[in-house]
Amino acid sequence: MSISTAPAAEPAVATTPPSPVRRSRRPRHAREWWFGALLVLPAMALAVTFKLVPLIRGVITSFESSSGFGDSSFAGFDNYTRMFDDPVVLASFRNALLVVATLPVWIVVPLVLAVLIHQRAPGWKFFRAVYFVPYTIAPIVVGIMFRQILSPDGPINALLRSVGLEPLAMEWLNGQNSALFSLVAVALWSFFGLGVMTYLAGLATIPEEVLEAAYLDGAGFWRRLFAVVVPMLRPTVAYWSVLCASGVLIWLFPLIYALTQGGPGNATMLPEYLVFLTTFQFLDRGYGSAIGIALFVFVAVLSIFSVRHMFKEGTRKPR
Amino acid sequence: MFRRRLTGVLAAGVATAALLAGCGGGSDAAADGPVTLKVLTWEPGGTEYWQQVKTAFEASHQDIKLELQSVPFDKYPEVQGPYITSQSGPDVMANNAGLELFDRRGAYTPLGDKAAEINKDLVTYSGACEEFDTSKPCYGVPFSYQGNVLYYNKDVLTEAGLDPENPPATWDDFGAACEAVKNAGKTCLALGLSGTFPAYWDFPEIARNYLTEDDIRGLLNGTLSWKDPKLVQVLEKLAEITTKGWTNKNAPSITMLPDGADIFQRGDAAFAGTIISDAVNWEAFGKALGDDKLGVTRWPTINPSAPLAGKFSGIEGAVYGVTKWSEKKDAGLKFISWLAGKENGELWVKYAKGQPLNKNVDPALLPSSPAFKKIQELIAEPTLHAGVMLSGPEADALARGWQQITLGQLTVDKWAEQMQQALERSPTKKQGN
Repeated sequence: MSISTAPAAEPAVATTPPSPVRRSRRPRHAREWWFGALLVLPAMALAVTFKLVPLIRGVITSFESSSGFGDSSFAGFDNYTRMFDDPVVLASFRNALLVVATLPVWIVVPLVLAVLIHQRAPGWKFFRAVYFVPYTIAPIVVGIMFRQILSPDGPINALLRSVGLEPLAMEWLNGQNSALFSLVAVALWSFFGLGVMTYLAGLATIPEEVLEAAYLDGAGFWRRLFAVVVPMLRPTVAYWSVLCASGVLIWLFPLIYALTQGGPGNATMLPEYLVFLTTFQFLDRGYGSAIGIALFVFVAVLSIFSVRHMFKEGTRKPR
Repeated sequence: MFRRRLTGVLAAGVATAALLAGCGGGSDAAADGPVTLKVLTWEPGGTEYWQQVKTAFEASHQDIKLELQSVPFDKYPEVQGPYITSQSGPDVMANNAGLELFDRRGAYTPLGDKAAEINKDLVTYSGACEEFDTSKPCYGVPFSYQGNVLYYNKDVLTEAGLDPENPPATWDDFGAACEAVKNAGKTCLALGLSGTFPAYWDFPEIARNYLTEDDIRGLLNGTLSWKDPKLVQVLEKLAEITTKGWTNKNAPSITMLPDGADIFQRGDAAFAGTIISDAVNWEAFGKALGDDKLGVTRWPTINPSAPLAGKFSGIEGAVYGVTKWSEKKDAGLKFISWLAGKENGELWVKYAKGQPLNKNVDPALLPSSPAFKKIQELIAEPTLHAGVMLSGPEADALARGWQQITLGQLTVDKWAEQMQQALERSPTKKQGN
């Protein structure tokens, strides 16, 4: 839309009506504003109803104390102070930090695979479909499936034994650290296809000539990846990073539910599962909400840097 | 024009509201046709039994239709929780007797004086009443009898050189039998520690050797400390089950149902400690192994002189109560009263192959399986079931601690400390409710 600011060709005379520009400007603006608001309204209503209201409700509940599913009373900050003395809560957040430490893998592995597909490595069409298939399987099914695969006498250990790697055959879901990293590996298997697709969408925006030029200049795969692709793909990498940073802490629930139930001991206990456990198994709604809010803050802090970066990238003026 | 439109919109609104009110249908009094009663259940006893319940109840109560919402047992709390917090949903709901029911009692209509009247022919219904005291408020009606026994595979015992007609009766004998079974290349006790089932099932069988009924009530009220020497001894013996190598090695990472039970059903283990009714009972094992190969016994005794050592940890199965928010309370009451009756008791025996709670069930209908007959002997001397006295945090800490003990990551003293912390975190017990 543009508004003409050119001077009038003829001097105004008494009979000339007031400037048509000035007369139509306000109603037109108002109409556009209302039209825009109307378009945004459904999304706003959904966001308020299903995001903001539950969040506020969660905050309110976190200040309540309840016995079972009965009535509740105001508990002040008790639920929050309790968390600092609760070894299970502390263990769950320590595990969350360990999971977050695996983020580089979540970001780099799909990127490498996406670039290989983008460069039409042998079998690229096949792999483009294959990588996405795990993402289409319901996580709860993935969990049940991997419980069999990772069992002491399961196919992974059988394979390791058959190729002479007996010492590497272990009880994947039994150890303090092996259980958590097995869980993360299963989650990565399940979700990395989404990353590959996201990166492929980003790669489609990079002009072919740029990559070809780098190739002709003698840049190898890794050089092209880090010197050309990554800088040009920064917004996509940032988007995927934010998704992963929050995702690794909320995607794992169905897998924990099906694979380990937080065990052995608290080895795979993550805050998201603890919220469920505290609320529905321990019937402690207030405390469950407080843990949920703590997780929300944890994820927000983790994501804020990437989101800020994305915002800067998005609002940067072209040079 | 605008007025006409507005009138039209209002008329449509009124019509829609009237239609919705009609669909919602609702109170007992205003019903023009049969009342539809929504029942939330995990179908203890299986789908076939519940189909029979629906058919038989509706046939004798033409004015009531049942709408069963069946949820898998392990998903039940997450479906039921939102119903309770929003005070809406089913007219009748199930919960296990004991703390699980007491914790959710705010969702149920207390039965008052009707409790004794409805339950008059039941062997027991105290697990549906606060503190297992029938003089206190009761919240629902049970119809099955539940508890724990030790099943065994006679073939595996024979292979190990043991007498299948005389299973080990003491803790030491059990240890010796396990060594023999291991030497024969099989697992002694099939177990899956991921999840709380073994915490509910195995704990009371050890606890009977150390606790009195007063102690068990102390456990219910949260007054018995987990650092009490009696409870520490219970934990020590639970620990022995896995640390002495009596179980499958992957026990910490698998669930009892179905994984642990599968090991036993495949014929790879000598023993399995599970329940007498519902999901995995003598019938399921009998089908898998053959009725003639299935034995059943009491858990081995650790301390024969303990007052409860020779008793059966008995408890009602699922308890069905009418929800506080139901607008069809009369119909709900009729249904749960029927559940406790002789007719349903007989359906329970016939289709679910479970132990009935109603005393008037025709004995001729009882299964003729040797295992079922043995169960009749074992349940003759019941006592309180210590497992259902555990709060959610305690049952969870018991299960997780046992996993850690098995993996050598925890000492029994530390386990007792964790149990005490869990007790103190338990909202119900902490507040003395």
